Amino acid sequence: MELLANWPVGMAALFVLLLVGLPISIALTLIGLLGTVSIIGWNPALSLLSTTFFDQGKNYSLSVLPLFLLMGNFVVQSGIAKELYEAAHAWLRHRKGGLALATVIACGGFSSVCGSSMATAATMARISLPSMRRYGYPDDLSTASIAAGGTLGILIPPSVILVFYGIMTQQDIGKLFLAGIIPGILGILGYTTAVWLSIRFRGIELATEPKLPLRDRLRALKGTLGAIILFIFVMGGIYLGVFTPTESAGMGAAGALLLTILSGKFTISSAFVTLFDAAKTTAMMFFILFGALTFTNYVNFSGMTGDMQAFVTYFGDGPTSVILTILVIYLVLGCVLEGLSMIMLTVPIFYPVVAAQGFDLIWFGVFVVVITEISYITPPVGMNAFVLRSVVKDVQLGTIFRGLVPFVLMDVVRIILLILVPGLVLFLPNSM
Amino acid sequence: MPPASGKRSRALSHWPRRVLAWVCGLILLLLMTLTVVDVIGRYLFNSPLIGATELTEVLLVSVIFIGLPAVCMDDEHVTVDLVTSQMPDWIQPFRKALLALISATIFGVISWRLWVYGSQIYAYNGVTNSLRIPVGPVAWLCSVCAGVAVILTLYVAARDLRRALRT
Amino acid sequence: DTTLTVANWLPPSHPLVSEVIVPMTEAIKEATGGSVTTNILPAPLGPPPAHFDFAVNGVADITFGVQNYTPGRFKTTSVAEMPFLGNSATAMSVAYWRTWDAMLKQAGEYDGVKVLGVFTHGPGEIFMKEGDASATEVLNGKKMRVGGGLINEITTKLGAVPVEGPSSKAYELLSQGVADGIFFPYESVNSFGLIPQLTKGIDVPGGLYNTSFFVVMNKAKWDSLTPEEQTQIDSVTGESLARMAGAMWDSADAKGKAAMDGKIELTTATDAQMVAWTDALAPVIKEKMDEISSAGVDADAAMKMMKDEIAKVEAE
Ligand code: NA
Ligand code: NA
Repeated sequence: MELLANWPVGMAALFVLLLVGLPISIALTLIGLLGTVSIIGWNPALSLLSTTFFDQGKNYSLSVLPLFLLMGNFVVQSGIAKELYEAAHAWLRHRKGGLALATVIACGGFSSVCGSSMATAATMARISLPSMRRYGYPDDLSTASIAAGGTLGILIPPSVILVFYGIMTQQDIGKLFLAGIIPGILGILGYTTAVWLSIRFRGIELATEPKLPLRDRLRALKGTLGAIILFIFVMGGIYLGVFTPTESAGMGAAGALLLTILSGKFTISSAFVTLFDAAKTTAMMFFILFGALTFTNYVNFSGMTGDMQAFVTYFGDGPTSVILTILVIYLVLGCVLEGLSMIMLTVPIFYPVVAAQGFDLIWFGVFVVVITEISYITPPVGMNAFVLRSVVKDVQLGTIFRGLVPFVLMDVVRIILLILVPGLVLFLPNSM
Repeated sequence: MPPASGKRSRALSHWPRRVLAWVCGLILLLLMTLTVVDVIGRYLFNSPLIGATELTEVLLVSVIFIGLPAVCMDDEHVTVDLVTSQMPDWIQPFRKALLALISATIFGVISWRLWVYGSQIYAYNGVTNSLRIPVGPVAWLCSVCAGVAVILTLYVAARDLRRALRT
Repeated sequence: DTTLTVANWLPPSHPLVSEVIVPMTEAIKEATGGSVTTNILPAPLGPPPAHFDFAVNGVADITFGVQNYTPGRFKTTSVAEMPFLGNSATAMSVAYWRTWDAMLKQAGEYDGVKVLGVFTHGPGEIFMKEGDASATEVLNGKKMRVGGGLINEITTKLGAVPVEGPSSKAYELLSQGVADGIFFPYESVNSFGLIPQLTKGIDVPGGLYNTSFFVVMNKAKWDSLTPEEQTQIDSVTGESLARMAGAMWDSADAKGKAAMDGKIELTTATDAQMVAWTDALAPVIKEKMDEISSAGVDADAAMKMMKDEIAKVEAE
């Protein structure tokens, strides 16, 4: 037990528990609690636990999470995702790998009305996977294109993660949302390139469908109108100051509900399934968050923060070496930590360091989100791969992660591009 | 995760799940409605909803904890199955039972501590900012939910273990 | 030798940390001749409202925070939060400590901990995006961001519409135009980066409200110290701590006021405004006096002592 007072021991114990299959939330809570006990004793540690689970649970800012999830679920019920996919499909079906390309693009479109990566991936999995299977796409390519495309959910606004970041660092959330747009489009380009690379270099033979006449392709675009209106409602509401970004989650959920009703797909029973699923996902994600916060407290007491800060400047004090060191740390942490926990754990440590080096904190917000996107699709802890695994029961995690390799590579290319050309991030928010 | 395989909709017909689904659903709807009423009130009538923030907070923590038993019932915790999927089949029921014991213990500790915390808050008469809603009982509610999660976790584990041993 | 863990929920650069908490820990170390040292935790252990209980339960040894973050718990705090109390945080803080030590302590609200200090912020003023600052009904229908405590009721009584939210949300509320203005001390307007969002400020003589703070220590930890160490720590906390904190807020307010120069048009509340507001706030003050009495303290005597001591310190 006393051994746990050293944070590397705690880290190692956490890995072991995760690898034997203990739920992430429980593993984080257990090690976080025992680690804290080893430093401050049983009674204080136990009372700290209640604070973490109760007081953080009634944290107003975090109410965006269930409401963005709800918005996403209503959007799913309204059939927008299907129409987005069908529009993309209509334009791309005659190309080689067209279904995977359509999946990535539809994910991007869906991300503009859904703030969560996991919800985006889960939704698109149900819609695009069946048709990819029908046309003989290998499971690794099709699941990977959904898992990767889904990560755009937190970059293209609205975004749960950008709201969290803005709250933690007191940055303008409206600006953060704008800053995510161009990198989001770059993400779509990167993932379509990854699809092309997969097909090209693995020599996958894929059937294509006949090209649709222009008239049918244009007609398919009509189905995207709902998504476009909802996007303008939410983003416009924020920019005109009608509601705050925190409130935009509730307004967006209401807008999505209205859209569902207008689409004629609304039934009481399906609405309750939707609501219930959002509630369960909320509980599941919050318990991971509580676990991460319990673990953070342990980290806090154990002195890991100071070690990290010293480490970041160890390889040199200049902006380039600091940001590259942070990038490498994030890539490593991103493999093993859940994205939201990673951000809660590290942003408070890193953002003062980064700001002191002269980086723009809006830029750093987008940097952090792209890093989080990568963490969602890297093994062993890759939330979007888990989502695919839970929706598509007959695919192994290993298969999904194998398919994700070119997508992760394109993400690394994208983040380096954002470091070299910060204007890609800052152009839109600065023109506001 | 968003909706709803056929299996899950059918499973909704069991009454405990049904009660949980209705309660959770209503809370989420209320959470959404609060924001909408607050925003509309602010613009159309120049009177925002007093206490919208604190009601949101209370409803948020409630939906998280009421949702927990549902997560346990359907065993929807996120796990890393990279290594476990390679382990031999005979080991799985025992592994799962052991992990369920650990999970149930943790939920039990959370339940116990939230009860103690609720009593502390109740003792010093903690209330919300404007509506003066007592906060202690909210923590007690969360404690009870975590307690239900203990029972459900153990029940699901015992059921699965019995099933596995029978076949 | 003892090392005390200090919980901190503010950024390390915040003056409450760098100019009050850190100097306090240094003073403790010096006064005890190095036998009691401190370790300030690098990251917050939990949300700000939880920090009183952190000291009660020994999660950390020393914590600080704001009483009205846990509404309903500290009824005697209103003594230091009343409108029109004083212009100097130093005077209010020292007077508050003396009143607390002599009278408010009996209410038993702090029995679970050793109190190292109580003090107040500088006077809270009125800031707006736009409006006629000299009009009596300047606040009518204006959406004002409020944080909690007495100021929520004050807002409604003055005809304004309270928009609730934590102080970290103030920027978001103002920049989005959700709120038309804010009640804040000069210091906070500046440190939360709100100056570009505001054009008008009304300086209310005596302040419209104050915020009360505490610095407390875990009881068991305190009891584990030697009597000499306890006396040594007492000599550098209590009134000295209140004075140091008050002086910090005063200088931060002066800095904040200077930063507004040429950016926010500052006026002093007119006599007509003061008469109208004093009238409007009378029922709130009465209600709070009753609440203080309900905690088992002679409210009138406590208020009198508070005001007398403020006058004494201001005359120093
Ligand atoms: Na999004
Ligand atoms: Na990962």
